[in-house]
This record gives sequence, structure tokens and C-alpha cells, in this order.
Amino acid sequence: MSTPKAVILDGDGIRRSLRRIAHEIIERQPDLERLTILGIVTRGVPLAQRLAQLLHELEGIAPPVIPLDVRGYRDDLPRSQAPPPALPADRVKDRPVLLVDDVLFNGRTARAAVDAVVAAGRPLLIQLAVLVDRGHRELPIRPDYVGKNVPTSRQEWVEVHLSEIDGEDSVRILERDGA
Amino acid sequence: MSDSLVAPTAAPARHLVSPSDLDLPLVESLLALASDMERQGQSPAQAPLRGRIMASVFYEPSTRTRFSFEAAMLRLGGQVISVESAATGSSAAKGESLEDAVRIIGGYADLIVLRHPEIGAAERAARVSPVPLVNAGDGAGHHPTQALLDLYTIKKECGRLDHLRIVMSGDLKFGRTARSLALLLARYPGNQLTLVSPDELRLGEDVRHQLHRTGVSIRDERDLSAAAAGADVLYQTRIQRERFASVTEYDQVRSVSRVDAALMRRLPEHAIVMHPLPRLDEIDESVDSDPRAAYFRQARNGLFVRMAVLYWLAMGT
Repeated sequence: MSTPKAVILDGDGIRRSLRRIAHEIIERQPDLERLTILGIVTRGVPLAQRLAQLLHELEGIAPPVIPLDVRGYRDDLPRSQAPPPALPADRVKDRPVLLVDDVLFNGRTARAAVDAVVAAGRPLLIQLAVLVDRGHRELPIRPDYVGKNVPTSRQEWVEVHLSEIDGEDSVRILERDGA
Repeated sequence: MSDSLVAPTAAPARHLVSPSDLDLPLVESLLALASDMERQGQSPAQAPLRGRIMASVFYEPSTRTRFSFEAAMLRLGGQVISVESAATGSSAAKGESLEDAVRIIGGYADLIVLRHPEIGAAERAARVSPVPLVNAGDGAGHHPTQALLDLYTIKKECGRLDHLRIVMSGDLKFGRTARSLALLLARYPGNQLTLVSPDELRLGEDVRHQLHRTGVSIRDERDLSAAAAGADVLYQTRIQRERFASVTEYDQVRSVSRVDAALMRRLPEHAIVMHPLPRLDEIDESVDSDPRAAYFRQARNGLFVRMAVLYWLAMGT
């Protein structure tokens, strides 16, 4: 069981973080016109969609958002548990690719996502945007865009709620009881 | 992905009920995904929806739409359960409400595809559905995947969705496909809509009002032949006999709005002819062999667009 400790981002906080990330993407993406955004299933997808919406409002471009299911590429789950994603080569070939996820923790999901992209084709570059970076990496993975850095202990975990899926927007830190 | 220790939250599912569920970035994403599906061939080797079940629940007949949804699910590696005529072949015949049926089917399936004769039925169903629900047509209401496949076809055939001259002909009052397509096209800059329909079947004022607000250019034209001369896309629809008081009136309207060899001579070389199908004789069969006749390619695109929609909804958005 868990005890809620603190709300670290509310709806406004999430909105501001995404807006800032969108501005950073506009500044730092080499080829916005050809950008493919891959939302990591599940909560990376609505976040990716919100970023695409912001890019549309700010720059008038609507990069496609494709859901990326990386469970087939995780190294800590049985290989057969989930199929690899349906991603054709030219969706990523020679294009800038932006991976979007809610929480960056040990880096294994991000690594799986990079593997999934590289298995499909050779992108121009891959960048990673996350709403929350909570630290404790076990792999040499570094996000390019971060909504909020949240120092955590390993006993804590971060729960992201998004209105599209959970009916509300919030990011909370929870403490594992009896840990 | 969140920490794996996070307890799963009861999540309200996302649905596709009307064009208003589709903002422009989502439309662009679904069109890109549909094109990915097409490029991978009809069966993505990885079967991304393996283990998922789609329920197709049709309260009125539609072989075409039902088959393309079911084929889309099967080609994604998923499975399908279906009721062919839910109005008589299910507990609806015993008086069960649509809402109850959807709640129960949502307990068995991961996705629901619903066709219903009443306007607003899909909206009601979506409100209680525990799993993503796709509106496959609710009476004269909406049919969003048809509008998406029309957009996909235009983009593929014409190379763009903006600065196009689109002529819509036929039943623009009750025909949901032309209406939904007009609303989606109005979101792209520089499009000009020319509407050709008999007075009885004019595009409704509500839709005209919505279109005017977007700033899209709309023109009414009596003569299909004159309108066709300046078209990039000619979107023909079926006129149903029951909309007219007499057979004479019906025949008269049909004769002036037919797409035939003479009309094709007026249509520019680069233009395309679309039709949501099924057609009666509003497009002469002699037109079928003309490379500008895009309606069978359009119907086939429905498969890829529905694969994209099912994939999108199943991925938990």
C-alpha cells in the first residue's frame, strides 16, 4: 500500500511544463517539418498529443503522434509477453524522432523505446522528453527535455494522472508503506 | 511508463464519436498511422493487437462498414465478436436499453464498434462504455471513420488537404458523410466548397453556420457540370428516393446530378471523383474505368484508416 506525500505538479503545473518543453523543442529540433513524435504507451501518448497540439498552436505544424508500445523490447519482462510495435521504416528513417514519456526512472523503458525505433529504421536523431525525471538511472540515458526534476528516494514512487486517461491532471509522490 | 508498482487507476476510456473528437493534430496523427498501416501491407507482421477483442455491434445493417472494421481488427492480430443485427438478434429484442448492452459488452471486449439508427446513440453509448467506443454511424448523425478515410483519400490522391476546390453533390441534408467531411476540410486553409444539391436536400443551416465561422469559402451552384469544371475533388453522394414526394421529382433531380461520360469531359484531368458508396446510378458505370474514379480506392482506404483508429484507441489513449 502507499501513502500520498505531496502533489508536485497540478493541472497548471503540467500545462506550464509542457508549454516550456514545446518552446524548447521549437528551438532545438533541427527539422520540425519532418518530426515524428512517438508517445510511449500508455501515458506518453496523451502527453505527446498535448505537445503536438502546442506545436500546432505555436508554429502551425502538426507532427504526427504515433503510439509506441515498447513492452516487447523491455529487458525486465518476458520477451513473449507483448508484441513489438508496428512501426514502418520510413516513419523514422532520416527523420528526427521525439520520444515522449511521463516518468523517467531507471531508464529501461527509454532504452526499450530506442531499441524499438532503431529496429524499424535509422532516424536522423532521437530525443527524449519526459514530464518528470525522478533519477536513479541504471543505464546511460539522459532526457533532452524535462518538465520537472524530482529528487526521490527508491522507497518513493511517482504517480502521474492525466485527464485523458485518469480524469484529472496531477503528479504525486507516494511513499511505499513499511519500506 | 510509470513505476510498475503504481496501482492501476480506473480509467474512463477514449472514444471516437463525432468529428469534434478529432482536433487537427489527432487527424494528422491518424492519417500518418493509416499510411504506416498501408505501407506495412495489410497485416503488420507483429500483430500489435494480438490478444485484444473487438465487439462489432450493429443495430442496422451495413456489410461494408462492418466488414472493414472486422478485417482491420483481424489484420492487426486481434479478434472479433459480432452481432449481425443487434436490433433483432440480441437482447434489444427483449427491450434491453442500448446503455445496458454497451456496459455488458464492454465487460467482454476491449473495443466496441457501434452502428445505430438513432442520432446521438453513439454519444449515449460512449458515456457509459467502460472501453473505447467507435461510432460507425448513428442515423443522420456522424460517421467519423468515413470522414477520416475521405480525408486520407484526398491527401493521398491530391497530395494535400489545403487550397483545394471541392464540389459536393447530392444529398447534403441527410448525408452524414458530406457533412462531416466539409467540417474537417474547413480546418485546413484555403479550401473552397461548392455545394450542388436540390433545394430539398440543401446542406443544413447549422452546418453552414459552423463552416462560416471557420472562414472557409462556400458557394451554392445549381449546375453540377459548371461546378465540375473547376474542381479538384468531386464528391458525389447517393440521393434516396424516400426523400421525395413523387417519383417524377426524384427522377428529375437524379437526371441533373449524374456523373457520366459527358460530365467527366468537363472535369479537369487532375481531379478525382469520390463517393462514400453504395452508389445507385448517380455515377454511371462507364466512369469506373476512368483513372479519376477514386471511389473504389477510397473504399479500400477504409481498411487502413480503421486499422489506424483501432490501433490508436487500443493503445490506451
